[in-house]
Amino acid sequence: MKALAIALLALMLGPARAEEASPATGGHMGHMGAAAPPACSEPAPQCAATAEPAFARDGTLWLAYSVGDKVYAAPSKDEGKTFGPAVVAATATGGVVDANGEARPKIVALPDGALLVSYTARPEKSYDGTISLVRSTDGGKSFSSPQPLVDGNGQRFDVFLVSPKGRLYAAWLDKRDAAEAKKAGQDFAGSGVAVGWSDDGGKNFAGKKILMEHSCECCRVSAALGRDGLPVFAWRQVFENNLRDAYVAKLSADGATLEGGRVSRDEWATGCPHHGPSLAIDGAGAWHVAWFTNGKARKGLFYASSIDGGKSFTPPAPFGDEAHAPGHAAIAAVGKTLHRVWKEFDGTTTSILAQGSADGGKSWSAPSVVGATTQPSDHPLLLARKGVAYLSWLSREHGYRLTPLPRPAAAKAARVGTPAALAGK
Amino acid sequence: MHGFVPRFAATLLAVLALGAASAEALDFKPYEPGAFKQLRKAHAGRPFALHFWSVACPPCIAELPEWAKLARRKPGLDIVFVNVDPAADRARAEARLEKAGLGGGTHYAFADDFAERLYFEVDPSWRGELPYTAFVDAKGEAVTASGALDDPALKEWLSKTAP
Repeated sequence: MKALAIALLALMLGPARAEEASPATGGHMGHMGAAAPPACSEPAPQCAATAEPAFARDGTLWLAYSVGDKVYAAPSKDEGKTFGPAVVAATATGGVVDANGEARPKIVALPDGALLVSYTARPEKSYDGTISLVRSTDGGKSFSSPQPLVDGNGQRFDVFLVSPKGRLYAAWLDKRDAAEAKKAGQDFAGSGVAVGWSDDGGKNFAGKKILMEHSCECCRVSAALGRDGLPVFAWRQVFENNLRDAYVAKLSADGATLEGGRVSRDEWATGCPHHGPSLAIDGAGAWHVAWFTNGKARKGLFYASSIDGGKSFTPPAPFGDEAHAPGHAAIAAVGKTLHRVWKEFDGTTTSILAQGSADGGKSWSAPSVVGATTQPSDHPLLLARKGVAYLSWLSREHGYRLTPLPRPAAAKAARVGTPAALAGK
Repeated sequence: MHGFVPRFAATLLAVLALGAASAEALDFKPYEPGAFKQLRKAHAGRPFALHFWSVACPPCIAELPEWAKLARRKPGLDIVFVNVDPAADRARAEARLEKAGLGGGTHYAFADDFAERLYFEVDPSWRGELPYTAFVDAKGEAVTASGALDDPALKEWLSKTAP
């Protein structure tokens, strides 16, 4: 009991003791505003933490990003070298806008020229978000008032894609069932994965049901179109004993189920990795996944593929330099080439590495540095237009950059670095 | 029954501590580059746990009351909490800490948005996954762990290092 009283006393006296122990003494201590102020508040991409790109059919590159409570859309006619004035797509009223590597404003350039921008706001007292959508039918000059994707709240980490027939698909992590379970006093691991689709350019969505329970609740969802035009999604799923591994599944034709499989068994019992997988589907219909794990079975960035709709995956193949914390990989299939990009950090410099594969992921070109900064930066993203793959990357230092990636020569790719060789470097 | 009075006294103390904490805004000190090294120096000679958490991490929030219990159970262990959220989330972070009974603890908050550098200083292999804890024993030996307090490895460290 005495020990308890002393402990409590210690807790009470905590702040005073901490003053002595504080590493950072100086005038800017000891108030709520202690954290660094935003670097700038201009409506420009370099003042944002994230930038999401989309090419419109006319070749205009659109960026969606947020600064403070404003969500912006900005057009570029020269592949991101310069941007026209940013338009306020929405002003968030429901709390803090998700704008980090995993959860961020999104933009979709629809086939009819309309633009759809999404953002998630988290209310002051919870982390149950609301995904809001705004649309522009005048080329981004003005946007509609925000409409919630789902009534009620508990939705975050949305992702969109458009099928060749023009159907707009959305998937997101949804806590509705988790909230119900909590209300009933039951334990519930993670969130659920919900899918909706719209045939009127995002004005109305059908479906919107949770199709798979127990997704990890803090990792992005990735999406790609199957050869038949149905969407396939990758996310982190909570398995037995809180093990959290990548999972890939395809939406059934009737929109009622998600069917696929677990990518690997990494033995990672964890809380919030904040590190979702990335998915690509090539012209032959093979699924390609890149993901991060810190499990007992393996640690680092890995790649695997499936040619049977997720029933089985190739053994996880490591990539990146494990000494430099490789992470946040994106993978894309463009033409006959697979591209993957990721982040590394050596204590001072963040580098963006890129590799290509001309043989469906069996062998990869030597990693090349396609971006570097000594300041904060967004996750690297991949984007494609007219058979060219681009790195899309925002950094405080360089602002927004769209960088075309080279296509590996097939013969060369076969000789250079297998994933195993790279891992051993 | 004989446990009632001490428990009541403890509750009273806890309420007082909470009252004191909520009378003025919770004191988040800036966690900047170099902080990990400086905190280790400041806590040299004593077992020390540096716990990183976020309001956007449900398992972190669910676990905060366990940390409050740990602090009570192990007075010989210095515990410092670091909130990794941006400044816009600070009020929410404060509310979570108060609710968990940690209003009187020692709290830092990320004050540099180049998060990779802050992660790297704690452990070059840390990508930012949460909850995350660095344990440093009295001799200065550090181990890091991503995951919950009920992880067997963490339990073992705690029972060995901070009895």
